[in-house]
Amino acid sequence: MNQVLQATYVAFRALMGAGAVVILPIIITIVGLIVRLKFSKALKAGLTVGIGFAGINLVINLLSTNLGPAAKAMVQNFGIKLDILDVGWGAIAAVTWSSPIIPILIGVIFLTNILLLVLKASDTLDVDIWNYHHMAIVGVMVYFVTNNLIYASLAALFMAIITFKLSDWSAPLVEKYFGLPSISLPTMSALSSLLIAVPMNWLLDKIPGVNKINFSIKDAQKKFGIFGEPIMLGFILGAVIGLLARYPVDKVLSLAVYMAAVLVLIPKMTALFVEGLMPISEAATKFTQERFKGRKFLIGLDAAVIVGDQSVITTALIVTPITILMAAVLPGNRVLPFADLAVITFRVAMIVALCNGNLFKSIIMGIFTTGAILLAGTATSPVLTALAKSTGLNLANGSQISCFAATSLSVSYLVYEVFVSNVMITLPILIVVLAACWYYFGHVRKLKGIMEEAS
Amino acid sequence: MKKVLVACGNGIATSTIAAVKIREACEEKKIPVAITQCKILEVPSKAEDYDLIVTTGKFQDPSIKIPIFSAISLLTGIGAKESIEKITDFLSK
Repeated sequence: MNQVLQATYVAFRALMGAGAVVILPIIITIVGLIVRLKFSKALKAGLTVGIGFAGINLVINLLSTNLGPAAKAMVQNFGIKLDILDVGWGAIAAVTWSSPIIPILIGVIFLTNILLLVLKASDTLDVDIWNYHHMAIVGVMVYFVTNNLIYASLAALFMAIITFKLSDWSAPLVEKYFGLPSISLPTMSALSSLLIAVPMNWLLDKIPGVNKINFSIKDAQKKFGIFGEPIMLGFILGAVIGLLARYPVDKVLSLAVYMAAVLVLIPKMTALFVEGLMPISEAATKFTQERFKGRKFLIGLDAAVIVGDQSVITTALIVTPITILMAAVLPGNRVLPFADLAVITFRVAMIVALCNGNLFKSIIMGIFTTGAILLAGTATSPVLTALAKSTGLNLANGSQISCFAATSLSVSYLVYEVFVSNVMITLPILIVVLAACWYYFGHVRKLKGIMEEAS
Repeated sequence: MKKVLVACGNGIATSTIAAVKIREACEEKKIPVAITQCKILEVPSKAEDYDLIVTTGKFQDPSIKIPIFSAISLLTGIGAKESIEKITDFLSK
């Protein structure tokens, strides 16, 4: 097995020198051909993804060129040590899809899904190939650190099992709170929050007095809506950072416009990635749905389908500014929250459902979740930065980077740590914990029960 | 030409899938259409410039006066054909 994997890897290695803009179209074209796309269609998909990477590279360069020095000046002026730039999940997803071992990891995740379905160990049929990057990045980073393809594949395997089980367990929540039956959400950026939120929710419900608190904010969209609009958020953050960097007025304004540009442009570039991967995703969907016809399953979708909920939006709009302030005072944090402030909705969506829309509890748990993201992001930034550079991401001024996805997510961070530590000790621990959770949530009680208790 | 705003959680992933499917269906039926993608959070401030809003998840805002169409079926594939027909019917009027 290892030799086959190693041989595949050697083949991709030969193309590594050319950089992601060349490797990506080749990899995606090959994957396209494997899922039986016509060559012209596969090539177009490959090139579209390659263009997406080129675009993301330009924008990230714009970000690190402008924000990097300002962040450093801010450290010198005020001692606010936020010198790790949050470049956003999109850029990291691009790095993930550009890894030479990505075809292997995608295969591992896809087969894990099929195997769990066949064994009836999971009901989630994940048709959301794009979001495989949340699982694959852990494997990519483990490979970058250990150079061990088996560990990398195992890391992706465990990420996949955990993702599919978490989406199974949370499906009743999604059905009950968001009114979306027969789907589940295997998107780790949303699911990971449950690791902190489930025990915290239990704890908050046990504290007399606290378990009675709830409030609502009228017209939250009007009052805090600005934190949800990338143009305004980017402009204001850019201006504030420029002022903290003690820039002259003209430079403050140009930094503000550039930062607004980054927040508006990153999604447009990332969308090219999604568009390019769409034909492959469709083919995989068709393949699996035909194979499992007649079986009742949960269709796994991007968690994007739940973040339009009013309570989710309200919680995110309040947690966003708190996260920015917290970043400055949280001991040990060096991440400057920026690009991923746009997706706080995903980090709080499951939390809101878990506590049945209780705004007080949602905000408290949301803050702890983003706090954990900042700390794990700081801890894994050196590896993520080195990985991004090796893929060809153009970072100016020796900037260090992080994001609110990848190994910044609590679950992904722990799985990553398992495989870069002494695996002989940590892997059995992971298996025991996973088995215990499986038993507890699968048999003893379902998340739905927990929610009913809270409501 | 009708203008469509396709919104999802991050304005990237699922909105691209929905936008591409609507665009392809409109091209096939020769319906001129301009499609813009955005985040759901931006919908209230952008809505008035469009004829139709398509969201990939559940979204409600009583202050928005133009039609909002929930197109989760474009992601699951179940009922996708009917949804596309409803959208193209609306746009061809």
